[in-house]
Amino acid sequence: MVAGKIREMINTIVEKRSGGSAMVARSIRARLVIKGINVDAYTETSEDDPEVIAKLQQIAKELGVSL
Amino acid sequence: MAVMTAYSTAASFGTAVTEVANQLASEKPKLIVYFASSVYPPRELASAMEKAFAGATILGCTTAGEIAPGRMLKNSLVAMALGEDIIEDIAVEVIENVKDGDRTREALQALAAHFGKEPLDLDPTEYVGLVLFDGLSGAEEMINDKIGDATNVFFVGGSAGDDLNFSQTHVFLQDRALSNVAVLALIKAAVPFDIIKTQSFIPTGKKFNVTEALESQRTIVKLDGEPAAEVYARAVGRKVEEISEEFMRYPLGLMVEDEPFIRSPQRVQDNKIIFYCAVKEGMVLELMEAQDMIEDTEAAVKAADKELGGIQALIVFNCILRTLQLESEGKTESFGRIFAGYPAVGFSTYGESYIGHINQTATMLAFGTKR
Repeated sequence: MVAGKIREMINTIVEKRSGGSAMVARSIRARLVIKGINVDAYTETSEDDPEVIAKLQQIAKELGVSL
Repeated sequence: MAVMTAYSTAASFGTAVTEVANQLASEKPKLIVYFASSVYPPRELASAMEKAFAGATILGCTTAGEIAPGRMLKNSLVAMALGEDIIEDIAVEVIENVKDGDRTREALQALAAHFGKEPLDLDPTEYVGLVLFDGLSGAEEMINDKIGDATNVFFVGGSAGDDLNFSQTHVFLQDRALSNVAVLALIKAAVPFDIIKTQSFIPTGKKFNVTEALESQRTIVKLDGEPAAEVYARAVGRKVEEISEEFMRYPLGLMVEDEPFIRSPQRVQDNKIIFYCAVKEGMVLELMEAQDMIEDTEAAVKAADKELGGIQALIVFNCILRTLQLESEGKTESFGRIFAGYPAVGFSTYGESYIGHINQTATMLAFGTKR
């Protein structure tokens, strides 16, 4: 079973979009939660749910972040 | 110029504008922010304000109650004048037909272009946004979402009210009174600023998964796979037919780390719960419990005052549900007194904006002392 991709995608979105700003990073995490991604629920061992991965790909596109 | 505030409770819009203009007349403002009861004719009011403050950017909306320094008002006009020592520059865009279309990104591009930048290049410590919605548009979630997609600048604001008539609300821009719009203002601040968000609730530890929702109808059908009203009833220890009595005290919170974004239940329909803002399937919500609103809000304002080295101007967006709760508890005077000693204006909203669309919250934009 492949795992951890969702956590990696969340981290990439937050890091790339925030550009190192802790204040912006916090707001991006909030935006992800409001968009329906429960950011705290996913760890390095979380199963790769294709539905969530597709949702994150769409969100990354909306936020202008390349994954 | 120093920040100035004024209010009038005159029954006639003309008298109200004259009284406010006289109080704010001393110097030329860069920005006028005003909030007005829907008892005043909106188009005539906007036109009179434009004439009274020619040359300034003029923004505002209709309300479900107004806030002035030291008091909460009804059927009044409240206004704030801000000079160039607070507002270095400002650009404003209107998103019309906000229910039907989406030109948020285009509006953000235009706002940023005014400052010679791209939306993503705007520094959120230098720029801040104000957003005012037609409070009956139901478009707040979508527009806030799109704002956050386009820029890292924080937009704070609220949804216009109409004194609980739920008939028509208006957003004011210059001499226009507009419905079915969102008005976005991008401010380059000349001073430090802070956004205050306070909701006066604590999490209870009771969490639910939203397993079925009708997002566009702001409705939760099922929590944890069961009818939402039954789950909520068990959580608050009441029968389904009684739960609406608990909605004000026990809303649900979408937790972001330790910070709740409140989703307030509005009513029950066929075991479904209809909310004042949208909820998505897959979200985890937590039952919240009300705390002392006066104490909590006062602490939040004082903390910002300390952080900013003194608040020079405070624009307050206070949820109508909080105002109704204050009224039912006889605490409106105490709440108003929180803002005594601060140059403050605000209103009771049909929803608050900060990162998303939220309920039972006060969002505020506070400007501090010189950098």
